[in-house]
Amino acid sequence: MSRFRLLLGGAWTMSRGLKWLAMLAAAAAVLVWSAMGIGLSVAELLRGLPWIWDLVSRMLPPNWTFLGRLVRPVIETVQIALWGTLLSVLLALPLCFLAARNLSPSLAVFHLTRQALNALRGINEIIFALIFVAAVGLGPFAGVLALSIHGAGMLGKFFAEAVEEIDAGPVEALRATGTRPALVAVFAVLPQVIPSWIASTLYRFEVNLRAATILGMIGAGGIGFELVSSLKLFQYQDTATCVLVILAMVMTADYLSSRLRARILAA
Amino acid sequence: MIEIRALIKAYGDIQALRGVDLRVSAGELCVVLGPSGAGKSTLLRCVNRLTEPTSGEVLVAGQPGPRTRAELRDLRRHIGMIFQDHNLVPRLSVLKNVLTGRLATMPAIAAALQVFPRVDIDIALDALRRVDLAGRASDRADRLSGGQQQRVGIARALAQQPQVILADEPVASLDPKTARVVLDDLRRAAHELGIAVLCNLHQVEYASEFADRIVGICDGRVVFEGMPEQLHAAALTRIYPGLDADISRAAEGARAEQEAAV
Repeated sequence: MSRFRLLLGGAWTMSRGLKWLAMLAAAAAVLVWSAMGIGLSVAELLRGLPWIWDLVSRMLPPNWTFLGRLVRPVIETVQIALWGTLLSVLLALPLCFLAARNLSPSLAVFHLTRQALNALRGINEIIFALIFVAAVGLGPFAGVLALSIHGAGMLGKFFAEAVEEIDAGPVEALRATGTRPALVAVFAVLPQVIPSWIASTLYRFEVNLRAATILGMIGAGGIGFELVSSLKLFQYQDTATCVLVILAMVMTADYLSSRLRARILAA
Repeated sequence: MIEIRALIKAYGDIQALRGVDLRVSAGELCVVLGPSGAGKSTLLRCVNRLTEPTSGEVLVAGQPGPRTRAELRDLRRHIGMIFQDHNLVPRLSVLKNVLTGRLATMPAIAAALQVFPRVDIDIALDALRRVDLAGRASDRADRLSGGQQQRVGIARALAQQPQVILADEPVASLDPKTARVVLDDLRRAAHELGIAVLCNLHQVEYASEFADRIVGICDGRVVFEGMPEQLHAAALTRIYPGLDADISRAAEGARAEQEAAV
């Protein structure tokens, strides 16, 4: 009698075991096929190691005098994230009520809005940025528009899900007093969703700040422009400074926003 | 004040109400008794049209059923409702919860910006005084105990200055002592303010103790109507069919005990 015994869910039969084997074999086949497609190779990685080391050594030490040139781009990055978030909130607010199953005026409106939000969310902000750069020209405003459109799809869904999770009791109680629907939303829905809405918005700001650091690579403003220029000019020590500054920005934003979110959700 | 005639409510093939006639006068606390699923809630909800009746008439203050959304809101303005789970907005203050009972008559934009007419605030505070909770006006509603929250629910209904109050199992989740306080609040609302109160209960002893009149409902039909003292074992077995004779005797014994105590 062994001291250990393997326990798998349910009773094991021959046919169930064969089914599992077949599924495992299929999964392995897909992974091998993908590895060939992308040229996955440990040997390549090992051969490249010296070159990676070479690049890293050229980045060190970071060029601290470059910091002065980064002040404006850093501020611009934060400004892009700020307005990108604000505009996506404004776009998401009216949409989220239509996209919440419990408050949507009809099932058709519900599905239509949900699909529209899915489409906005499905397209990456960089793709939107490319489109807006073509439409409004190079610069941070194109980046702001890209973040607000993509973010509206994200926040619209989060806001709508918060609305769907509310307790329906207070809503019915206010309807029963003869209060008109807009005021029912203000007094029975808003107080229940506000903490979750603020938390989603703060999280969205974090994500937007990270996105805003690369928008510059395609000419849509922010610190990404400096990063790409330094790479193109082989100024790797400047690149290192950019990377460290981005890291510091993102970590600060994560720290502040997660502390704020914890406080708001606890209240 | 409430007049219900031949009220039928069907959900598909299932008939929740099979022709109910009922009158409740101003200043009267009328208790509806009946087993779970007998149609008590449906009956109440047909009065303020949270449930739309299939056929029949419900007159409130002589007014027939509403034809437009505006008429519906106007009807509901005069009908307060109290729920089993009080249905307060948890994150709002007690006072704001009571003020929601007056939203229907307020300027909408000011109210949305949290600016309320002083008259309405005074009415809300007065309603809180009636349920003895004026001291808790600025507390958040979810800081109160279950019984206090239910009484804020009553204050919200009173703030509507209604002609009718509907109470759907208002004491089902309360302990006996708190339940009596809540039912006493409701009875005083009826007697002192002349409101017609229609109240669902499932505790026979509370009905006997507090009701001016009792209506028994079983399987969507009225099977008993009378004064509390007329609610004998035979009536109880009509309301709760299959209820063992000795259980009804026990209920009667409890009632006799209460009468002796009074």
